[in-house]
Amino acid sequence: MRRAARRVRARAGRGRGQAVRGGAGGRGRQRSPLAGRVRGVSEACPERVRGVSEACPRRVRSVSAACPGRSAPCPGPVRPGGGAAMQREVGTLPLAPALRARLAAAGFQTAQELLDTGPCGLSKEIGISREEALEALQVVRQECQGDAARTAGGSGATRKCTALELLEEEQTQGFIITFCSALDNILGGGVQLTKITEICGAPGVGKTQLCMQLAVDVQIPECFGGVAGEAVFIDTEGSFMVDRVVEIAAACVQHCHLIAEAQQEEDHGKALETFSLENILSHIYYFRCRDYTELLAQVYLLPEFLAEHSKVRLVVIDGIAFPFRHDFEDLSLRTRLLNGLAQQLIILANDHKAAVVLTNQMTTRIGQSQATLVPALGESWGHAATVRLIFHWDNSQRLATLYKSPSQKESTIAYHITSHGFRDVQPPAVTHSTEGTQLNPRKRPRTEEEKQQ
Amino acid sequence: MDWDQFDLNPKTIAALKKADIKSVREVLNLSGADLQRLMKLSSADIQCLLRTVSHMLRRNSMLTALQLYQDKDHFTSQHQKLSLGCSVLDNLLKGGIPLVGITELAGESSAGKTQISLQLCLCVQYPYKYGGLESGAVYICTEDVFPSKRLQQLIEQQHKLRADVPAEIIHKIRFGNSIFVERAADLDSFQQCLSRRLSLLLARGMARLVVIDSLAALFRCDFGPAQAALRARYLQSFGAQLHSLSTRFSTPIMCINQVSDAVSESEAAQCSCRVEGSRVTPALGITWSNQLLMRLMVSRASLPGHSPGAASHCAGSVRTLRVVFAPHLPPSFCYYTVQLEGVKGIK
Repeated sequence: MRRAARRVRARAGRGRGQAVRGGAGGRGRQRSPLAGRVRGVSEACPERVRGVSEACPRRVRSVSAACPGRSAPCPGPVRPGGGAAMQREVGTLPLAPALRARLAAAGFQTAQELLDTGPCGLSKEIGISREEALEALQVVRQECQGDAARTAGGSGATRKCTALELLEEEQTQGFIITFCSALDNILGGGVQLTKITEICGAPGVGKTQLCMQLAVDVQIPECFGGVAGEAVFIDTEGSFMVDRVVEIAAACVQHCHLIAEAQQEEDHGKALETFSLENILSHIYYFRCRDYTELLAQVYLLPEFLAEHSKVRLVVIDGIAFPFRHDFEDLSLRTRLLNGLAQQLIILANDHKAAVVLTNQMTTRIGQSQATLVPALGESWGHAATVRLIFHWDNSQRLATLYKSPSQKESTIAYHITSHGFRDVQPPAVTHSTEGTQLNPRKRPRTEEEKQQ
Repeated sequence: MDWDQFDLNPKTIAALKKADIKSVREVLNLSGADLQRLMKLSSADIQCLLRTVSHMLRRNSMLTALQLYQDKDHFTSQHQKLSLGCSVLDNLLKGGIPLVGITELAGESSAGKTQISLQLCLCVQYPYKYGGLESGAVYICTEDVFPSKRLQQLIEQQHKLRADVPAEIIHKIRFGNSIFVERAADLDSFQQCLSRRLSLLLARGMARLVVIDSLAALFRCDFGPAQAALRARYLQSFGAQLHSLSTRFSTPIMCINQVSDAVSESEAAQCSCRVEGSRVTPALGITWSNQLLMRLMVSRASLPGHSPGAASHCAGSVRTLRVVFAPHLPPSFCYYTVQLEGVKGIK
């Protein structure tokens, strides 16, 4: 509850007199006596305080019980509808900055005061045209209604929750598996939803292969351990070869068929009817961005796209470094744009419960005595991603290192890229299934595949 | 920039003109707060402006992977590739060179890189049915003179190499007419060639293959080890320009590259060349490798384990063509020889 502030202001058109701006008591400003000019006087109020509420018998606008200058205690705070939304400060309303400055200079503090004054009064008091005043009030009204709806619904940016709720939510959240169980293990189950994962590596090490594998794996039905979502693939380098995706998808479908045969459950069969090659391909939404302007525009449009296609659970940007590594004389502009991009992607990942996967290039950093490969785009970009994987070679073996993760420890595993896609180097310990044993729904006894490889 | 064509509030358009914002790029480069201050509009208006501008830039840009798979149009389809003129080599590359992107062919001297690129310049002129693109080629030389005598030999022997194509079609094609040879001995002339002549030729549809022989030669003399950053900037700029030309005109770009010795084991590993006994890596480093779609390596030494019988019934030494990395190909190799009529693979 705020103490009522008596705004004292020079009347427009009568020149500046003793214009003393009053503030709320908490700010420590001196409250001037009523001898000064008082704005918006209502005849009904003996204390000549601005703005009246019909409900209050003393006709004092949104005052607290401790309203100064009143001879008798006020019956209580009067909040004519809207509740907390109406008490929103003028500075936070989405109006033009110049308009906000004028309102602050005029002494308006909350949205309620604006609405009570009405367009004519507003236009007279701050010297804007009637149309502008009408527009501004409309914006304020919409904003307050939106606020009220939001606090009632309990969702959105201002939602509060405890860490226990967050933990429960995280534990029920799915992961997008990569079909390489070693990689899934070091990631804690797979690529996590609502987080940004960055994959860095030299050319040819397998970043695009993993992205294509994830775009297929995100569509695995829930009964097989997947998240049954769709994928958005934003390609800046032109390395998305649909023939390769067809190979990966065909292998994935076959894998699921074999699991279904081994386990013979009813929902497996039903899910497999919709999990076909054409279906998988039709749920990968492909965007080709040829320079950084197109990429920025595409990311602005993504929230709308994801709202329309609510089943999307994965957004891949293959080659976030490529459009940003040439053509930038001003590196500070690049840093700002990248930071803005990262912010938008974080909000996107959170709001739509999607995983965002980015691929980055490597660049050489010349140290004192040797040159090392480090991820491109600079140090500040390193903070954008939640999880960072670095792919590299060791002689002929491809290795993946979990370089940055808030919950898993740093470790390195080996992986393999076969004609079926992204796989382990050695198949996990083969357990031939008998009738009694419980099989992991994602694994099946690897017999034929070993021979193939 | 004509803001009136956008679907915007007249107030926003007036504010854009007053703030002297001239292009979509400027709008997207400025932050939301900067735009509010410059244009004196509310944040809701600015959000609306950003969304409208993004829509204009990106309308009709969504495709599903299924549409890509089913696209059969000659210009846009991913299934359309540029054949190398030999079925064995085409099988290694699953059809040939992809149309969009930079393909690199690296190898030691006299391994056969120029032969393969000359063959490509002829293959591109065949009709779509026979793996060509029905258009000419641009050949940019940076060090040696263009091997015109060898080209004439190849032209005369085309009927022998391309036995699958009917003779009257071969006779109809004027091979020599559609190969445009450019010389660019230093960086400035190469830049000129890229930005002016190349885009003109490609825009007119007169060429649908660009061969650059070789890019490393431009950088060998002018740049010492201390100027690595400057060299990297040039490479990135050239790579981006070539990439954008390739995307706009659906034209394969074949860059021939030289090799240098791999100083350490790790360096060889980085550039993913792990052949036994071969300690060479392509020149120009990781900066250039980042611009490539696909990398092929040729060498004269044949890989261990090849059947000794293969060399006996071929005139000329056996060479190896290896796929180092490509998004759609596994690392694999095949053998080939260079004969009078051209490059032919050995099964």
